[in-house]
Amino acid sequence: MNKTDIQAMPAGLAGAGAGGTARPKVTTFATELGRIAAIGLFFAVCLFLFRSDPFILNMMAYTFLFAALSTSWNIIGGFGGQFSLGHGVFFAIGAYTTANLYFHWQVSPWLSLIPGMILASIVAVAVSWPTFRLKGPFFAIATLALNEVAFVLATYFDSVTGGPRGMLLPFKAGLVNMVFTSRLPYAIIMVGFLLISLVVAAYVLRGRLGYYLQAVHLDEDAARAAGIDVLKVKLTGMAISAALTGIGGALFAMYLRFVDPPTVLNIQDIGVKFLLIALIGGVGTLYGPLLGALLIIPLESYLRATLGGTIPGINLLILGGLLVLFALFMRRGIFGALQGAWERYRGARS
Amino acid sequence: MSGFVLSVENLTRRFGGLVAVNDVSFNLRKGDLLSIIGPNGAGKTTMFNLVTGQYPPSAGRVIFNGADISGLRPHARAKLGLGRTFQISKTLTTLTTLENAMVGAFLKRNNLSEAADYAMHVLDMVGLGARAGIKAGTLTLSERRRLEIARALALDCSVLLLDEVMAGLNQKEVESVIDLVRKLNGEGLTIMVIEHNLKVVRAFQSRVIVLDFGRLIADGSPDHVLSDPHVVEAYLGRQHA
Amino acid sequence: MAAFLNIVIVGLLLGGIYGLVSMGLNLIFGVVRIVNFAQGELVMLGMYGAYLSWFLLGLDPYVSALVVVPCLFVLGVIIQRFVLQPLQNEPFMQIFATFGLLILFQNAVLAITRGTGYSVHSELSRIVISVGDINVNLSRLIVLATVIVVAIGANWFLHSTMYGKAVRAVTQDRRSARLMGINVELAFMLTFGVGAALAGLAGVLLAPIYTLSPQIGGNFILAAFAVVVLGGLGSVWGAFFGGFIIGLIEAFAGYYLSPELKHAIWFLVFIAVLIVRPGGLFGIAGAEEVGLREQD
Repeated sequence: MNKTDIQAMPAGLAGAGAGGTARPKVTTFATELGRIAAIGLFFAVCLFLFRSDPFILNMMAYTFLFAALSTSWNIIGGFGGQFSLGHGVFFAIGAYTTANLYFHWQVSPWLSLIPGMILASIVAVAVSWPTFRLKGPFFAIATLALNEVAFVLATYFDSVTGGPRGMLLPFKAGLVNMVFTSRLPYAIIMVGFLLISLVVAAYVLRGRLGYYLQAVHLDEDAARAAGIDVLKVKLTGMAISAALTGIGGALFAMYLRFVDPPTVLNIQDIGVKFLLIALIGGVGTLYGPLLGALLIIPLESYLRATLGGTIPGINLLILGGLLVLFALFMRRGIFGALQGAWERYRGARS
Repeated sequence: MSGFVLSVENLTRRFGGLVAVNDVSFNLRKGDLLSIIGPNGAGKTTMFNLVTGQYPPSAGRVIFNGADISGLRPHARAKLGLGRTFQISKTLTTLTTLENAMVGAFLKRNNLSEAADYAMHVLDMVGLGARAGIKAGTLTLSERRRLEIARALALDCSVLLLDEVMAGLNQKEVESVIDLVRKLNGEGLTIMVIEHNLKVVRAFQSRVIVLDFGRLIADGSPDHVLSDPHVVEAYLGRQHA
Repeated sequence: MAAFLNIVIVGLLLGGIYGLVSMGLNLIFGVVRIVNFAQGELVMLGMYGAYLSWFLLGLDPYVSALVVVPCLFVLGVIIQRFVLQPLQNEPFMQIFATFGLLILFQNAVLAITRGTGYSVHSELSRIVISVGDINVNLSRLIVLATVIVVAIGANWFLHSTMYGKAVRAVTQDRRSARLMGINVELAFMLTFGVGAALAGLAGVLLAPIYTLSPQIGGNFILAAFAVVVLGGLGSVWGAFFGGFIIGLIEAFAGYYLSPELKHAIWFLVFIAVLIVRPGGLFGIAGAEEVGLREQD
């Protein structure tokens, strides 16, 4: 208990608390750092075990990438309750920024992560400023439309994007170019990105901004009465979320070494997947998106590999079905269900 | 300096043709406990919303600690020290009781454990210490009202506006909330309450103002105000007057 | 001048299509307060229904409406009863669920058809009416006539029949409507059914005009959102005139700017209207917030 803080209160109010009940534990950022380190260690062991299996490494790279992207979406979408369907735009900005800098000026992708992040944040704030006046489904519609517009613009302005033909990035292997002959370095980079996203999300959630985002999500009037500048909080959350998404786009571009509108701006394959993974894992929880990605991405690549050739769209067909089923029967996702089971177990024991 | 914490000057708010609050003026000194009464639709909650900034006034001013705050948005007014509760409790149901209070405590504290400690302290003050760890969605109505008071207190507010905190509570709960309000007031907090229950207003034994059709029709002690024929007429209709 | 007139005609015909597609979406939003992201897919299902009726039963697409529209009505009732009714107070989950249906329907059709494009022909759709330099395909005129009939019919229904009044009562205040003895759940199911049936009707009428593809719903849904946001959510005449406004904007933008940029133009209009007048040109102010308000 911080004594000096209590004494700083208005004189009359100090000491009014009767005795002072023991305060329940509040999860701190430091605790989360420990957990994230454990997760990192576990994935490092996985990578080591499968270091020479390109199929598994490829799947792990995608899983970690989408886990990170969904964790980033969750900052504004889950904590803040702003259901953006337009995060594909920030993803595409990261991808095209890095691709252009690499293609035309041979800038190292490591360096172009920074302008990609900044640009994604600026665009996110610029388009969110007006659209944050809208609530719930209307915000979702506006962001869906934003993604469509980005698709049209990316196809139209072919001097920047290569238009419908896309941009094929030259293969020049090397650490500086973020181009490798083995899949292992890519998988390691994706784990790194995942850990960074988790650390940022944990820092947000376990600090003032996280509490404010949740308050804004649950009740804007109550948030205002608690002195919260609602628009500022939403914009801050959006900027952080978009910056991380921009990094993801850049890494994706360097992994595929190819960028075109259908790859980075497909609403079902990119924009919606972030929130789908979050929903299935547990929207608004710190580790839910990671859990969701661990389930969804391997499932999807399995379906694509086994049935994709004979039945087109089967992977998305199943994802759509899961989306409806989880919305109906498991609103808190896998993480929420596990949490509930754990609470019941503890309740039964005490 | 006038010495008033809060002054409402000729405050008016129109909604289309309806004048919900009509040229209302009054002042509060530090440590006052002011009750606002009036029939349904008299403009009490609208007046609160004008003071806390939910709506801009059509005319008139709100002065807080000597500064005109009429143009400020609600969160800025909260930062200056105006705490409030809502007629229908706005509980952040999926957070714990402690976390609800922490949302308020973060206003003046950036550090997580400081905010949590302070939130715990205000929860103890309103008698919710034992409920700190549970989800706020499982609290009873009277506990939710206390929680809203705690969240406002956690802002370190200097003026607290309570909008019908007794509504829907049973006799025992009403008495305990009366005690809480008196205790907070006794410790120097300036409080303004909207109240329907005239017994509560009598129990406070402090200044009362009466609104009717948006106008301030009486201002004084409970005994004085409740025997005023205009007030009786507003409440009970003309034939009883 | 002829070019200008031609663009106006193209815009009006397109507006008829958008208006028709928007009617069901708007009805569902106005009454059930649900933004149905899968509405475009219901139109798509209507189009494939017309194809299936022609393929299996040899029905002319315009006759197949008699089969397809009731089927879509039943589908709508099922969706409302089993998917959306359990999510009545969960606005976020409604977005997830209707978006899930969008992905589900689209990819189910893709999986079944293996991505083959179909087209449906009717004897009527071959007829072209010419006035001076302007040629109009009869099938597009039928859409235009239908949207006018549907708008007048919907308006009459909502304002002049007992059932319509009950629906409007539900729209304004669910709780009171319930107290007045109106079965709100039933009203929602029937409304969603009618909304889906209107999408089916639009699908049947559009089948002879477009090449069928599983993704075609996406072409309509954004236009329909633009229309209802512009016209005002929940307003029948809003959807009617909103359709023409969007159609004309698209026709002019396509001619004077670039056909590829039409989506961008919609979006600008859409965002501008959302910001300046969130309730739309004909809608009730604050409707954008009502969508989220808890009601029970």
